[in-house]
Amino acid sequence: MITKVLLDIAIMSAIGVILALLMVIAQRWLSNYGELSININGKRDITVIGGNSLLSSLSEKQIFLPSACGGRGTCGACKCKVDEGGGPVLPTEKPLLSKTELEGNIRLSCQVKVKNNVKIQIPDSIFNIRKYQTEVVEILDYTYDTKGITFKLLDEQTIDFKAGQYVQLESKPYEKVKQKAIRAYSISSKPSLQNRLQLIIRQVPEGICTTWVHKHLKVGDKVSFTGPYGDFFLRDTDADIIFVAGGSGKAPIKSILEHLAETGTSRKMSYFFGARTVKDLYLTEEMQAFEKVFENFEYVPVLSHPEPGDGWTGKTGFVMPFFKDAIRDPQNTEAYLCGSPGMIAAVTKSLKEYGVLEGKIYYDSFG
Amino acid sequence: MQPGVITYGGFLGTDKRHYLDIIADDEKKLDTLGKSAEEIADRLEYFQQVSFDSFQSSTVLEDKWDVETEVVRGYIACPFAHQGMYRKSYTTVTNLQSKKSFTFTALHIHLIRAHHFFEGKGSHFRLEPEDLVKELF
Repeated sequence: MITKVLLDIAIMSAIGVILALLMVIAQRWLSNYGELSININGKRDITVIGGNSLLSSLSEKQIFLPSACGGRGTCGACKCKVDEGGGPVLPTEKPLLSKTELEGNIRLSCQVKVKNNVKIQIPDSIFNIRKYQTEVVEILDYTYDTKGITFKLLDEQTIDFKAGQYVQLESKPYEKVKQKAIRAYSISSKPSLQNRLQLIIRQVPEGICTTWVHKHLKVGDKVSFTGPYGDFFLRDTDADIIFVAGGSGKAPIKSILEHLAETGTSRKMSYFFGARTVKDLYLTEEMQAFEKVFENFEYVPVLSHPEPGDGWTGKTGFVMPFFKDAIRDPQNTEAYLCGSPGMIAAVTKSLKEYGVLEGKIYYDSFG
Repeated sequence: MQPGVITYGGFLGTDKRHYLDIIADDEKKLDTLGKSAEEIADRLEYFQQVSFDSFQSSTVLEDKWDVETEVVRGYIACPFAHQGMYRKSYTTVTNLQSKKSFTFTALHIHLIRAHHFFEGKGSHFRLEPEDLVKELF
């Protein structure tokens, strides 16, 4: 009896092993797509090994589409136009694509497998995106939950970005975090530094990447990021400017102001920074110092909930009521906003009421 | 669900139960409280929406609740692998009479409505159904 049971187990195990082997062989032969071509914008062909996602195939060739979820098909950031060879739209893509996007052959590049030669279209700005290896050279505590981290680019690399753009930082595994995480942070330093770059990073409750930055990152650590990304940058006009930021939204505005301090400008500029209490303010002296650099600039911190012990004598409440004195010609005023969606909605509504044209209100929303 | 995958601490906390058991136990608790997970999700969404409508600033509702939302950069995925990303918005509702506060994110509203999942005990954002029903209705 026991012999028969053991024999049955052995036979079942053998069948399992044979099936597994067959699957491995089938995978190797049936999924071997060989070398395939990705034609980009009708101008450039790259050769890739078939079978991988379009997103990863492109990144292997140093072409980096934005991605916030690491290719899991949940964020929808890696959209691109696939004119040929993308196969049918998958059920995993449909919820993240609008009717117009579906009609326009827009796909999630992380979900498109390269099984044929493919023709795609991506913005030319994508070609400026690179992966950079860096070393942390400075970590500053700006507030109880916000740090300024400066990275030096290694291997004599330089980065070409517009003040206001962002990069995607890769965290490393630590403690119970077994995978790297990729998160977007605005660059807070000026573009002319080229081989150095600063990010302002606020601790997010339970955040994988921000916990790594705040609790584990040290001077001397090697870190990689890709970039630059984004279309939030200063327009080259002579219009008056209103900047509005909250929290780590100060980062891109700092970059823009440092850039303008270097290039020079006579534009009238007002910068409203919203914070909850005094302990949430940072870089105040540095921002006020720009009042001496520019001929027509004011820095206006506004606290929404100053505490009795703060000794705050500055402006309080919402930032919007204070726009009135800053806007002299609404039609010739641009606004640059960075912060929470609530702040951006409120400020946009207010600016439009003051007569600022919607097309001249540029923003980088946190969510 | 596990620590370090979507959030630093994960969604189960120190709870040793399987997540399906956590859901089943919370559903039983909801039955005794006479509220459904959908009703609780609707209530949390109501507070969140009021907060967004007032641009996330501190707002007092019906002289009973103070609501405030903070948003940080980025989005978070559902641990049940639903499509879409949820805004990293932290809405805090304080019952002004009892002084009890609850903080939840846009993802929690989805987790409660779609999965009846209030997270495991000991997790950073565990919401106790009993407390929610007592303080937020």
